[in-house]
Amino acid sequence: MNFKKVLACVLAGTMVFSMGAVMTAGAASEEDNKLTVWTWDPNFNIYAINKAAEIYAQDHEGFTVEVTEIQSDDIESKITTAVNAGDLSTLPDIFLMQDNSFQKYTTFYPDVFTDLTESGIDFSQFSEAKVAYSTLEGVNYGVPFDNGAVVNCVRTDLLEQAGFTVDDFTDITWSDYMEKAKVVLEKTGLPLLTAQAGSPDMIMMMLQSCGASLFNEDGTGNIAGNEVLKQCVNNYAQMVADGTLVEVTDWDQYISSLNSSTVVSTFNGCWIMASIQAAEDQSGKWAITNMPRLDDVENASNYSNNGGSSWAICSNCQHVDLAVDFLNSTFAGSTALYDDVISKGALATWAPAGESDAYNVPVDFYGGDTVYAKIVDFATKTPSNATGAFYYDARDAVGVALSNITQTGADVDAELEAAQETLDFSMGV
Amino acid sequence: MSKGKKFGMYLFLIIFSLLSIFPLYYMACAATNMSVDVSRGRLIPGTYLIENFKTLIANQDLFRALWNSFRNSAVLTLLCLLICSLAGYGFEIYHDKAKDIVFTILLTAMMVPFAAIMIPMFRMFSKLKMVNTMAAFMLPSISTPFMIMMFRQASRSFPKDIIEAARVDGLSEVGIFFRMFVPTMKSTYSAALIITFMNAWNNYMWPKIILQTNDSITMPMLVSNLLGGYTVDYGMLMLGVFICTIPTAIIFFFFQKSFTEGITGAVK
Repeated sequence: MNFKKVLACVLAGTMVFSMGAVMTAGAASEEDNKLTVWTWDPNFNIYAINKAAEIYAQDHEGFTVEVTEIQSDDIESKITTAVNAGDLSTLPDIFLMQDNSFQKYTTFYPDVFTDLTESGIDFSQFSEAKVAYSTLEGVNYGVPFDNGAVVNCVRTDLLEQAGFTVDDFTDITWSDYMEKAKVVLEKTGLPLLTAQAGSPDMIMMMLQSCGASLFNEDGTGNIAGNEVLKQCVNNYAQMVADGTLVEVTDWDQYISSLNSSTVVSTFNGCWIMASIQAAEDQSGKWAITNMPRLDDVENASNYSNNGGSSWAICSNCQHVDLAVDFLNSTFAGSTALYDDVISKGALATWAPAGESDAYNVPVDFYGGDTVYAKIVDFATKTPSNATGAFYYDARDAVGVALSNITQTGADVDAELEAAQETLDFSMGV
Repeated sequence: MSKGKKFGMYLFLIIFSLLSIFPLYYMACAATNMSVDVSRGRLIPGTYLIENFKTLIANQDLFRALWNSFRNSAVLTLLCLLICSLAGYGFEIYHDKAKDIVFTILLTAMMVPFAAIMIPMFRMFSKLKMVNTMAAFMLPSISTPFMIMMFRQASRSFPKDIIEAARVDGLSEVGIFFRMFVPTMKSTYSAALIITFMNAWNNYMWPKIILQTNDSITMPMLVSNLLGGYTVDYGMLMLGVFICTIPTAIIFFFFQKSFTEGITGAVK
């Protein structure tokens, strides 16, 4: 009897132990098939990564992503903190990074990133300008994601009052644009543009439209004596003086001007379209075209970029092969993914996606134009420029100069000289 | 006071009251309007509150954030009040020169900005495998020099004779603290509670660094998430801010009476 009891206990114990072992093995394999991701915006990036995981899981049973919503600034602070604390184990397998920050982080914290150059991802299928953001000294550190191609969004009904059509604002130069802006102001009483005071976004877009930058090829600052920059600043200041560009105090007022018909047009990264489309009562009154190009500048084009982000794989990732294959099969290889995320306004920089039918669907809000295909086309024509590790320092310095020039009428050369000094100080030159 | 003076004073006070209350009114109004109406500057209440709420809970784990914030703040406040009042009481009642030196060092610590200790602290908690825990969130603010100083100041007005009398009657030192000091210092505790709870509730920087999963999200982190997208839904954002403000407002109004007394160290 006793023997039977002991045997029963041993068998029961073995069963429980085996079950535990099976469960542990199951948990281990689940962990092997899971990637942790840090990104922001549930309606955009988080939606896209979850959709990508769903598509990838169709061929890779049990694959999941664990997404943590963290703002882009916070991702950057967490990376800085983790590196300084000497503990990369707190970082996820994959994280999204703003394109403008990429150079800074790959320069200062290269140990955080996985080299993707020989990973099998075909970077030639992305627009050159976009890939350049996440490439440092010939090494690819990121898989490009969303498109920040600049679109010139214009109110066709208001332009009509001034006797113009959208074609009058297509493929034009800045001098032509500024003259037409005066006519629009005279006929409608409205400015052609609004901009956030102190924000050099517009200057940066103008610079990139001709492949120029605030940095030289060797990474040194290029603000003082930069003739292209000077022309951009002069154009901006002239429009402010003419009243054809009204500076508003903050981003919210900028959005408000678009939604409340107090401005005739805006040019910005194509993501601005989501904010414009929020005013449903303006459906059919907007159209998309390209931005003006600078006069008499070499390589000047009507295309530029503002914003956008790329995926990076952390060096601490325990499943690099899985992470690479996941990104390669989805963001660098799935038209189905891009066809789906277009519903959220996330447009591809991956060329094959632009050929899909989903990109050629007419959009009623923009008068039935095939705006998505147009934007992908703009993106492929955008010149690349040097952003550098001190991109935001340079940008902020130019922002201060721009405020002084437009608000106090300060001398352009002197202000750019001062901005150069500020940048040099930040760079420790 | 002459009628004219009185009228002028009331007019001045009314204008300033309206100016002070306007941001709160705007927040409440915006929470009931569509995003596009908010950006167009609509200043009257709308009918979009339920839709904004639905969008908010569809986009963010609101109830988890509320619970996390409340749990973290409540536990932190209780522990902070206990530890800091004990420390403040100790520094004053068992006063000697050595303790004065320790107190001076403690006050000097108030001068060190958080940014300077953030990385060493993260390193410490990371080595202790405490990243992403509630304890890691609470420990750095469980005892603050300011709170200790506040309780020490309050202890100064606590009559020493009563302590002597209690000792003669055979009450232990712990008994004196809990049965005599704590009930007498209600107003100081109320003021400390308001300050600690509000600081814990609104704390953003440290939780952002130390808490790394969606499960540990707090209300300020949730509000920050609402601002992160390319497109900001202003109606939803203002509703998030409104909900985030309610608990601190309730705590403040509830303990408001004792707040002024407590902050000046009065003993009833």
